Amino acid sequence: MPTLTAFIKSLLIATVIGLVCAGLFIYSGLYPIGADVPHNKLSYWLLETLRERSIARAASDIQIPNNLNTSDRLLAGGADYNDMCAGCHLKPGKKESDFTIGLYPAPPNLTATADAHGHEHGSDTGSKEAAIQRQFWIIKHGIKASGMPAWGPTHSDERIWNMVAFLQRLPSLTPDQYQIVTARGNTSDSHDH
Amino acid sequence: MKIKLLSPVLVLTALGVTFSAQAHDPKEHMKDAENPNCATMKDMDHSKMDMNDPVMQAMMKQCMKDMHHGDDSHTMGHDDASDDDHQDEQHSEHQH
Repeated sequence: MPTLTAFIKSLLIATVIGLVCAGLFIYSGLYPIGADVPHNKLSYWLLETLRERSIARAASDIQIPNNLNTSDRLLAGGADYNDMCAGCHLKPGKKESDFTIGLYPAPPNLTATADAHGHEHGSDTGSKEAAIQRQFWIIKHGIKASGMPAWGPTHSDERIWNMVAFLQRLPSLTPDQYQIVTARGNTSDSHDH
Repeated sequence: MKIKLLSPVLVLTALGVTFSAQAHDPKEHMKDAENPNCATMKDMDHSKMDMNDPVMQAMMKQCMKDMHHGDDSHTMGHDDASDDDHQDEQHSEHQH
């Protein structure tokens, strides 16, 4: 029994020392916080796991509309994507921008398929449905300290679903198709027909 | 004193709300809006186009006006400039 008490005491002392050391390190300012110095592997794993688990949990109950694949959604979502997202997440025919080079973590290239990203968008389940829920949640709520803003406070759910609808087709678009679908000019005339 | 301060605060708040609402309206983006480059559709392989595909339907909606214009000019002749002039005349007639 004394062995167990000694073990618990040692554990407590080690925890306190660990917390004090962590606090000293944080206050020392030694951690390189600049976006041009990548995280070490441990920090990267911690932050990525925290992000993916949080999004997967929060997005799992989102109801996906059953009319995502329509031309009207593509036109509305495409125009918004071009105005608000393409600078960071690129468009067909473009490989990089100042934002993709300068931001850390680099924003994902959404013109590439999930395979080309090297990871599943659906997080744990890897399903297409989970990927769509994830995209909606990220656009609406943003991600802390990543450069991804929350569009929810200024954009309706319907408008965000239009962007999600467009994202499903974006990797298959050619530069010419992208230009036509995302162009805002003249659309009101053609929609009247 | 309080009433004097209240007016500017209310005005500034109202302006803030108005500007923030305008900034996220799709119409705000129209200032720099591009027109669809429908000429590129003519170079696409039409035999491979699936008209049931929402992407194709979206492109058709964007270029419907342009394509009708193209059909008209095709039937009227090959001189685009003269067709445009002719159409401009028609438009001006409609307007008056």
